[in-house]
Amino acid sequence: MNAIDEDDALIAAALKGSAYAWEKLVRRYEGRIYNLGLRLTGNSSDAMDLMQEVFLGVYRNLHRFRGDAKFSSWIFRIAHNKAVDMNRRKRLMTVSSWGDDGDSVDVLDTVPGESQQEPERQLNALQGNELVMAMLARLPLSQRLIVELKIFQGLTFEEIAGLQDISENTAKTRFYSALRKLKVQLEEDNVLS
Amino acid sequence: MSCPKTPHLLQEYFAEDLSSRPGQEIQKHLDQCAHCRAELDLLLSTRDQLEGWQEQSVPHWDRGMELFRREHRSPAQEQGFFARWQWFPTAASFAMLCLMLFNTTIVADGDGVSISFGAAGGEAQIARAMEQFSEQFSEQFSEQQQLEREALVARFEARQDNNNVQLLEAVMQQSQQATAENMELVYSYFEQQRLQDLQAMRAGYQELLDSDYQTIRSLQQLAQYVSYDDTLIPQ
Repeated sequence: MNAIDEDDALIAAALKGSAYAWEKLVRRYEGRIYNLGLRLTGNSSDAMDLMQEVFLGVYRNLHRFRGDAKFSSWIFRIAHNKAVDMNRRKRLMTVSSWGDDGDSVDVLDTVPGESQQEPERQLNALQGNELVMAMLARLPLSQRLIVELKIFQGLTFEEIAGLQDISENTAKTRFYSALRKLKVQLEEDNVLS
Repeated sequence: MSCPKTPHLLQEYFAEDLSSRPGQEIQKHLDQCAHCRAELDLLLSTRDQLEGWQEQSVPHWDRGMELFRREHRSPAQEQGFFARWQWFPTAASFAMLCLMLFNTTIVADGDGVSISFGAAGGEAQIARAMEQFSEQFSEQFSEQQQLEREALVARFEARQDNNNVQLLEAVMQQSQQATAENMELVYSYFEQQRLQDLQAMRAGYQELLDSDYQTIRSLQQLAQYVSYDDTLIPQ
């Protein structure tokens, strides 16, 4: 039985009330969703919140899953939407720690000061996952999502365009912009270090 | 020296399969243009940096199991085994009602078992079966009763004899004990009486001796007195 068939079997069993099937289904995807959350939010607590919201959404809508798409695509669509919702809620409550949603640059971000210099200094000391999270944290959410979907989830630009309801060219442009921005950051950090 | 094709070319680089025709054209340009090549190398290096992400394990959580179990709990699971048989009393009542409504008669006799519906059939068979059953039952009952009675009488007699023997033994034992006790009492009484008489006799002899001694003393004193008086008489 391949992964897709196994997903379908687990979904069917979970819909009939099998707690074991539900748990197995969650275990198959929780790692990928949690790591996605870490990269998008930059911290474990928000990543857990996002993961729980995603699986709650999956649970509530499992009966609507028709099986004409892959379950993995469906769950990442939910994760994408939940991440956007979560970012919106956070922006309403506090000054965004997730960066801007969109390609426009926040006016405050252009003002030099300690808040800008501090992350750069920290970036030099970071390694591995923390470095990646710190790099991604400085991108707007729309670019961060494209980087996530393209690099970490391996989606094509066509799939990303469909998921985000944008044109394929916009998706390509955003990805290229994001990568360039990250490249510039790394160059600056290398110069500073 | 910059290249005007760089942005578009690199955007397409990440979108296209390099084995395709557009991909091959991109590759050809990259082989010729040092600026685009250098820019691409930096972007690939950045991508590699991101791809160095190590998968982190998920902290412990309940995986929505509590919610799942709460919402999928069926009444059968809640109430256990007996809940599965809730239909049985209703079905049994319904079956009984049907039997009554159709006046169903089930007869089991020496010829076998027969089931009949309605009042017309089976009454004679029932009467015959009941008669046979009552005859057999009365014969069996009287024989059994006779045997039981005899056994009861024999048991009663045996028990009565046993009781009588036990009673006689008890009476004899009681009387033997009483006689022995009485003899002991009489003996002790006589013994006591004898001792008392002996003491009284001793006391009597002692008293007699004492009085005799006193009499002798009195006589001696009288004799002395008499002899003293004789000396006082002038000769």
